[in-house]
Amino acid sequence: MPVKTTATGKPLDAATLRELRAIVGAEHVRHADGDVTPYARDATPLFRARPGAVVHPASTEEVAAVLKLAAARGVPVVPRGAGSNLCSATVPLEGGIVLVLTRLDRVLEISAEELLAVCQPGVTSAALADAAAAHGLLYAPDPGSRSVATIGGTVATCAGGLRGLKYGVTRNYVLGLEAVLGTGEVVRTGGRLWKDVAGYDLTRLLTGSEGTLGVITEVTLALLPAPESAGNGLAYFPTLADAGRAVTRVIAAGIVPATLEFLDARCVDAVERHARLGLRSDAGALLIFGDDGEPAAVAHRLDRMAGLCRDTGAIEVSVAGHAAESEALLAARRCTLPALSRLGTITILEDVGVPRPRIAEMVGHIEDIAERHDVTIATFGHAGDGNLHPTCVIDKGDDEAAERAHRAFGEIFRTAMRLGGTITGEHGVGAAKLPYLTERLGAAQVELQRRIKAAFDPAGILNPGKAGS
Amino acid sequence: MTGFTPDLLNRCIACGFCLPACPTYALTKDETSSPRGRIDLMRALDEGTLPLDDPRVREEASFCLGCRACETVCPAGVRYGDLLEEWRDQQWQGSGRPLVARLLMILVDARWRVRLLGLPRRHARTRGGPQGPSLMLGCFERALFPRVSRAARRLFPELAAPAAQGCCGALHAHNGDSARGRRMAEELGRRLPGTIVTTSGGCAAHLSSVLGRDRVKELSQYAYERDGLDGTAGEEPSRPATRTPPGGDPGEAADRPRIALQDSCHLRNGLGVWREPRAVLERIGTYVELPSAGACCGAAGTYALVRPRDSRRVLDAKLDEIEAAGVDYVAVVNPGCYRQLDQGLRRRRSRARAVHLAELLAGERPRRRER
Repeated sequence: MPVKTTATGKPLDAATLRELRAIVGAEHVRHADGDVTPYARDATPLFRARPGAVVHPASTEEVAAVLKLAAARGVPVVPRGAGSNLCSATVPLEGGIVLVLTRLDRVLEISAEELLAVCQPGVTSAALADAAAAHGLLYAPDPGSRSVATIGGTVATCAGGLRGLKYGVTRNYVLGLEAVLGTGEVVRTGGRLWKDVAGYDLTRLLTGSEGTLGVITEVTLALLPAPESAGNGLAYFPTLADAGRAVTRVIAAGIVPATLEFLDARCVDAVERHARLGLRSDAGALLIFGDDGEPAAVAHRLDRMAGLCRDTGAIEVSVAGHAAESEALLAARRCTLPALSRLGTITILEDVGVPRPRIAEMVGHIEDIAERHDVTIATFGHAGDGNLHPTCVIDKGDDEAAERAHRAFGEIFRTAMRLGGTITGEHGVGAAKLPYLTERLGAAQVELQRRIKAAFDPAGILNPGKAGS
Repeated sequence: MTGFTPDLLNRCIACGFCLPACPTYALTKDETSSPRGRIDLMRALDEGTLPLDDPRVREEASFCLGCRACETVCPAGVRYGDLLEEWRDQQWQGSGRPLVARLLMILVDARWRVRLLGLPRRHARTRGGPQGPSLMLGCFERALFPRVSRAARRLFPELAAPAAQGCCGALHAHNGDSARGRRMAEELGRRLPGTIVTTSGGCAAHLSSVLGRDRVKELSQYAYERDGLDGTAGEEPSRPATRTPPGGDPGEAADRPRIALQDSCHLRNGLGVWREPRAVLERIGTYVELPSAGACCGAAGTYALVRPRDSRRVLDAKLDEIEAAGVDYVAVVNPGCYRQLDQGLRRRRSRARAVHLAELLAGERPRRRER
């Protein structure tokens, strides 16, 4: 599986560039080699393709004008936020325009009465959460890349995160969207209401559509009252499968905590080398459990989870002493993937999901598969919601190892599907998972998705080569 | 041809965690002006897909402040500062180097010229070779802010300050001549054989990278360890290193000055020294943490001279913060930051004054400006 570099490089013609400059201003259209090189990739390894131009619009009107022009000229358009996605959703496989939404970076409204926020797509997830927190409110979706990722990007990929079990994922919080379709038409879907069944749920359809149906230009998000307190604990286990069994016990006992994250020994070691929190890496696995809410209830649930971990064979269990310690622990956990790169130069991260009771079983399969294909796979994940991130670390230029990793992952995807799971829990399809999509959805559904895409984007200019193409 | 160490370049996996830490990304929201984007440009140079004379490659090599804030948030442990030095070593050869940087480098390259710089001003100096720890006088600091070395000597009379010492070479290392920068640091290490105490965070980081960390102490670090604030000092210092301000009785707590700090980027991001200056300042005033205390002020070595407009754009948000915080002093631990904040605050006729931490510790309280 060598680097997938697509031979694009077809420059946009002079007339198109001139019109783009007239729409957004000359300094916001870049097309020279040096300008566009960093836009050939996002955070996904192995996928690269240079765009013909990078355009930074500053308003919905500008986005609409760019799309109208692109549709008329048949130029591909790939919307992009911060480019932190992990499925090559923003790699311009067929060249054209990368449309960067980072200049649209204002929080327009935080309403404590209505418990909602309205913002532009270029606001980072962390900035929105901070703005909500300043009003005593919580924006629940908590992807690992929250400090980088933009709201537009997290909606377009339906980002998950560390709080999925108790709070759900991005789609559970999107109340309304403004989006520009492939025709240049502007639509406003949903609105400010929790209850609103007027027409098809296009808000949900656009959420997770990875820039293939429309360009999101404004987002209305549901907020919650911020929990009074939060706490986390640590449990070390002999193996990751043991930690998986503890997770099943916790949920079976009727506890739905905010956090249940597990990491195998390799991940713990990498995180420790980055964050230096004093984590022990001599155990086979680490489980981070945590909850939020009213202080006494949090303490009670932490206590019960600690007990269940001990009953399931934990080697050591402890509860974080104070909030800062707790937050440091989660911050370190969010860095697991990049920290793993200390083990090799290319980290191929995967994102399978299985029904919760089958986590321990899936972990066992991953270990078997890694051994059979002779690759190093470190696994971490959101154990509470069955979302696992087996990560293969190889060295740059070792094409043979890359090929083995590719085969191992094919087998891991099929195993997850056999257990009733999925090929991607929260990262998305992009180009990376497209080859497996038909296996997951069936031919009829893939065909239906194509027809849906054609309705939103008749010229086929939005993110071609990805889902729906 | 490639001047990049493969291991340094390969470390980046493009996760993008560096983007929110980068001041130039904050200004532009453009990936190409971010650490991750610049590493892509370096890779393209390395692979030969972009030439050194590509206009954007040239622009980004200079637009980067070199503050290394990206390193502290990088989970993969990319040594961006080292990569930038390697990049500029190639990019800023001969006429590729900004003219101002070239002139300054020539100026400090010979010891006699550095000494000449200090002649008109009365910086601290002692006779004879150093016995114990010595005070580094710096190149431009001795000319621009001679009072800083005098304050440091008043605080710590044990420090020798021979005038016959050169520049540490940080200027060279950051402006495309890292080999000469190393040699200058080694030379200074021979001239000042014991512990070298410096009032410049940037010099501390460069010297440490060449001579090793045990040889070099930035002034707040020295004060912190000497006064036992780190909890390790066994013996009491002969006298308190931090003097009570003139006319200050212990009863004047109500009138304690409000002091903020501007971290030195390389001290904080390169050496991880940020607790120390705060701890020593807390003892002499009410310490106020600015939201952007740890972010670059835009001085960034020669940056303020090479790119004055961008330098001011970076500074402006910080000046707003300082005004809003209502502080009396902004303590600095690096001469570049000193010049930058002093000029910025003067331009705004701000009530707050920029003062070196050594001056504050020595009990100096420059008068507040009247509005």
